[in-house]
Amino acid sequence: MIQQWINSRSKQQVPLSYRKGEGEGGCGVIGLACEQRVAGKHLLTALTDMCNRGNGKGGGIAAVGLDPQIFGVDQSILNHDYLFTVAYLDHSCQAEVEKFIHALFEVDHVYKQHHLKSYESIGLEIEPPRVICYFLRVKKEIREDFIEKNSLQNAHAEAVDDEIIYQNSYRLNQTFYSSTGEKRAFVLSHGKNMIVLKMVGYGDQVIRYYKLEDFTAHVWIGHHRYPTKGKVWHPGGAHPFVGLNEALVHNGDFANYYSICEYLAQRHIHPLFLTDTEVAVLLFDLLYRTYGYPLEYVIEALAPTTERDFTLLPEHKQKIYQLLQKTHMHGSPDGPWFFIVAQSMQARHHKKAGYRLIGITDTSMLRPQVFALQKGAIAIGLAASEKQAIDATLKSLADENPQFWPQADFYWNARGGSYTDGGAFIFTVHPGMDGKASLECTDKFGNHVHTNLLKPPYVYTKKSVLAGQLPDLPAGELFEWMKSHIFHGEYEDVIKFMAALVHTGHKDEDRSRAFNVLTGLIDYRYPVGKLRWSSVLSLLNQSFNALALSIHRKSSQLYQYVACGDQIPDPQTNQQTLVIHARGFPAQGEGSLALAIVNGYRRGFKNFLIFDCTGQRFIGNGLGPNTDGVRIDVYGSSGDYLASGIDGAEIYVHGTAQDQLAQIMKEGKLVVYGDLGQTFLYGAKGGVAFVRGSAAGRPLINAVGQPRVVINGTCLDYLAESFMAGVPLKGGGFAIMNGVTFDEAARIVELESPYPGNNLFSLASGGAIYIRDPAQKIVKDQLNSGEFSEMTEADWELVLPYLEENARLFGISIERLLHYEGVSLKPAQVYRKVIPSKVQVLQEEEAWVKGK
Amino acid sequence: MKKGDKSFDEQLITHKHTERLRHGFQIWPTLEFGKMPALGDERWTPDLIFSIWEQAQSGRPPDNGLEYRIGNSGGGFDRLDFKFLPKAEQLPSEFLPNLSLLLNKRPTGVKIQIPVPFYGAGMSYGSISENIMLSRARAATMWNIFTCTGEGGYPDSLVPYKDHVITQIATGMFGVREETIQYAPIVEFKYAQGAKPGLGGHLLGNKTTVAVAKMRGSLPWISLFSPFPFHSVYSVEDHKKHVDWVQTVNPKALISVKVSTPIDVDMVAVGSYFANANIIQIDGGYGGTGAAPEIAKKNIAMPLELAIPKVHRLLLQEGIRNEIVIMASGGIRSAYDMAKAIALGADGCVLGTMELVALGCTRCANCERGRGCPFGLTTTDPELQELVDPSWGSERLSNLYTSLSWQLRDILRKLGMKSIEELRGRRDVLKYHHKGSK
Repeated sequence: MIQQWINSRSKQQVPLSYRKGEGEGGCGVIGLACEQRVAGKHLLTALTDMCNRGNGKGGGIAAVGLDPQIFGVDQSILNHDYLFTVAYLDHSCQAEVEKFIHALFEVDHVYKQHHLKSYESIGLEIEPPRVICYFLRVKKEIREDFIEKNSLQNAHAEAVDDEIIYQNSYRLNQTFYSSTGEKRAFVLSHGKNMIVLKMVGYGDQVIRYYKLEDFTAHVWIGHHRYPTKGKVWHPGGAHPFVGLNEALVHNGDFANYYSICEYLAQRHIHPLFLTDTEVAVLLFDLLYRTYGYPLEYVIEALAPTTERDFTLLPEHKQKIYQLLQKTHMHGSPDGPWFFIVAQSMQARHHKKAGYRLIGITDTSMLRPQVFALQKGAIAIGLAASEKQAIDATLKSLADENPQFWPQADFYWNARGGSYTDGGAFIFTVHPGMDGKASLECTDKFGNHVHTNLLKPPYVYTKKSVLAGQLPDLPAGELFEWMKSHIFHGEYEDVIKFMAALVHTGHKDEDRSRAFNVLTGLIDYRYPVGKLRWSSVLSLLNQSFNALALSIHRKSSQLYQYVACGDQIPDPQTNQQTLVIHARGFPAQGEGSLALAIVNGYRRGFKNFLIFDCTGQRFIGNGLGPNTDGVRIDVYGSSGDYLASGIDGAEIYVHGTAQDQLAQIMKEGKLVVYGDLGQTFLYGAKGGVAFVRGSAAGRPLINAVGQPRVVINGTCLDYLAESFMAGVPLKGGGFAIMNGVTFDEAARIVELESPYPGNNLFSLASGGAIYIRDPAQKIVKDQLNSGEFSEMTEADWELVLPYLEENARLFGISIERLLHYEGVSLKPAQVYRKVIPSKVQVLQEEEAWVKGK
Repeated sequence: MKKGDKSFDEQLITHKHTERLRHGFQIWPTLEFGKMPALGDERWTPDLIFSIWEQAQSGRPPDNGLEYRIGNSGGGFDRLDFKFLPKAEQLPSEFLPNLSLLLNKRPTGVKIQIPVPFYGAGMSYGSISENIMLSRARAATMWNIFTCTGEGGYPDSLVPYKDHVITQIATGMFGVREETIQYAPIVEFKYAQGAKPGLGGHLLGNKTTVAVAKMRGSLPWISLFSPFPFHSVYSVEDHKKHVDWVQTVNPKALISVKVSTPIDVDMVAVGSYFANANIIQIDGGYGGTGAAPEIAKKNIAMPLELAIPKVHRLLLQEGIRNEIVIMASGGIRSAYDMAKAIALGADGCVLGTMELVALGCTRCANCERGRGCPFGLTTTDPELQELVDPSWGSERLSNLYTSLSWQLRDILRKLGMKSIEELRGRRDVLKYHHKGSK
């Protein structure tokens, strides 16, 4: 049967060459899946804030699980008809295209997509295509003819229709949108209950131009593209691309584009738009629809499980996966990539129809990716290139609907090609009988994740709350008092005392006390009774913002406020803290937050409080050498490269951080009260860093000198690759990895493994890792060029001060760390030391130099 | 100090060797053919090596019959020649064509102009000695051009010349600090070297002396391999972010992007332009010291003479050719190579090996073994490096630059052109010698 499907495509015209049309690498992607239909406007801020991941030469959105009323159809037509969406670049060819359509299909309804009158008004340079949606069905005689011609008598009628639709779109695109010639019209999407819109511009401009602000859907993806070629005047190359019932966006680049094209050509599939993304979705469609693989196998064929992870799979999976890998290796995209797929699930393939959002990372996790889940009254799952985009979406939702709040319950990264999660997560929306849908989150293997029953979230009400009476205590004691008093009742209690802190008055000692207390409450983990932590945290952050904003109204001896566009003032005293409201500052370049900090520093400020960040990059960069005594506190969604190159400054991130932190850091201190992203401390020379949570891939890569870092969680893979940081006991660098986390009740608990990755200390030639592994879970296979070495008294003495500071910063006591399964152990029983295995034999030259 | 004293003896030995070496430079080119002490190969022929020595000595191209214009490789620049105008139409010899090159062609940013269309390539502290770096920095300062740190850090001794030193940021990030980025008028991202594309820089254990290791923050006597990519850059928007980072640290810096010549080098160049690059350096596969693996040097990248026009053409098509500078490098051996590269579409050239040859390199390829270069060039050995005194070295480089400029002007006059800019992309003034036609 599969062969018959493939043969049915053999009469198609074949394009002449498979050269990539445009080099492409980066992109900004975001996707969401929600129990309730979400309006397009909620993607706007996320996409605007990520515009530095695109260059305005291609933007697009896909929406799945639509509102029939918008189109003027009933639910049944929306569910059962193909939503055939055509982009007309040349308006004169509409009649020709429609002739094409009417020949094969019954058209039940036609809907013209609204758009702005003037495209220039939103800064577009090229007029986007006019879009017409046709709700259609395959004509009976066409179907019968197709079955007859291709001997598909045993096929499901719907599958035949799918194939007719698919082949028709191919022909239509070839006729009206040849990649090398005229570009008059093309099919944007043709699946059921889904639509794709794209243009030459940014993703957010798609929403604005097509007036999708109030257009609602259960699943959305948005995309900015960064084609490297300059002159792009047609939107065909923009993402998303479609298979049949799925739309895919992609951030990355395939090294084996040609090989995949060949692989597809052998199956009579030919790309027409000449980008990686198109072949990615063609692959997905081939595996999913033609071969009929379950999603797990589709993912395995795209991102194979390798190395030690493979050997840790159950035997039956190994067997199947090996077959999949053997069969599809040539079609497996090689290189850095992260896919987000929106899929309209058909009852034929699944028990019932639904919508889902799938995020898949390549095996080596070379592109940034963050997943998040908020399980309130209306659950929502998100996936994006940057955490800040997720936060921006949640904030936008929360601003409008009190059932959402600006903080997800869970943020996490997928571990590519792994036996643990498979490098992919899927958010599935199941529409219910009563019109209420339900959302579930699963990993590649279909395991449900984050299923723990959560406590009720805070739902905003307009009811005014009287401020509570704060006891008159100094900051430290007040913090302890609040920690133990205000979180054991209702949200109202928290709000009451937050209000008291926020309206603390303009006196410096009150302000500084309020800042200290709120910061402590944000930084530490402590039990919050029947309240939900993410709700509490978002209340704390909102209160913090309100407090910081109050300085705007009145500066004081200790605090001076600036926002975007303000002149940076001179400090009035050398103790004064420059409070910068980050929202509104560009992420980089002239006028950026980073340069505002540099400016403030040059004017003499040494203390900075940066709040309400929305992904601004390079915080703390550019201060230059010898910045001892500078302290920067960062709140909100901070951006990439934070603390890079610092030489003495101290930076505290009060929340989760993003990618490339502390690149080439030289001296100073970085503290992160949360998790952080890819390539932490790349090429670092020194300094100390403390991370409460986990790092994503490649922390400490190529670090030299004497960086010293404590990571309390773990990292996904490639820890300390090419580490060259001398001999720790003689002043060199090291990393301590504790393998613990906090549970919902704020207890410190063991992670399943202190290090799940395959590559620990690959190619390292110096430094050491002290890894807390009382159960001896780490095996030699994981050490690429490292070896276990004895954990001596001297080692313990070396790491002890760092663990003490770690305990002070995060409340993770040494006593707790030396505790395992109810027993207190000796340091050498808990910590294992990994050192480089190749101890270079002293060479003649060294002997010769030493002899001098 | 007296005879018998260890350091006195050492000085004496160094003195003796240095004298020999330097004296030799003067007499070698005049030796009878066939008795040359230089090695060389078909690409870098003994004639080319001798003529560079001669030029570094005299500041003029040799007039003793040495072939100083082309090599004998049977391909590439060695098959190209100029269609000079008939004598009568050439510009008079007293006319001085303008050789200057503006390194920032964008409407915004600092305007940096160099008087000649070339500057020194990135060679790291570790791959070459500190004295060689100093020689190059001094020569660059004298000529108001640039030299480049390479990826092994920024020795303090270079700081006085910082206005003429490009800071390179390579995949290993060795020695890159905020102040070294802030010193630099131009910051160069080295994505790949044409001599070993797909490989990071590498310095074998033998040359990683205590001093080199200290500069890089690593352990002595351990081989240092830079990763092949930037682990923070896997795509063009990451690259843009990388550039934004450098421009946050040093908002005035011009950005140069050094890439090798893969098949889609033209796309890479366009991408670099849109990510704010001022200069794209296309590094072909003919360069590299003896430390680059032979298999990589000759077999991976696209030949430079094919890459330049490809990049030039796409940039023209995109309408951005006049906003970015193309610097060609990787096996530029003579003023003629330089002029050919420019006629193919480059704005200027970057010189690495040629400078080492001027300082006495014989192309023996013994750059990485043992104590390194026997002539004190690509060595980290504290004794061997004394063979080159920076003031002597800079003088030789300066002489070479004089000769190169003289020849470039000569070529331009013979083509009837008043400036080097006029030559850019003028493939019509080149002719190709088919095999056997010469």
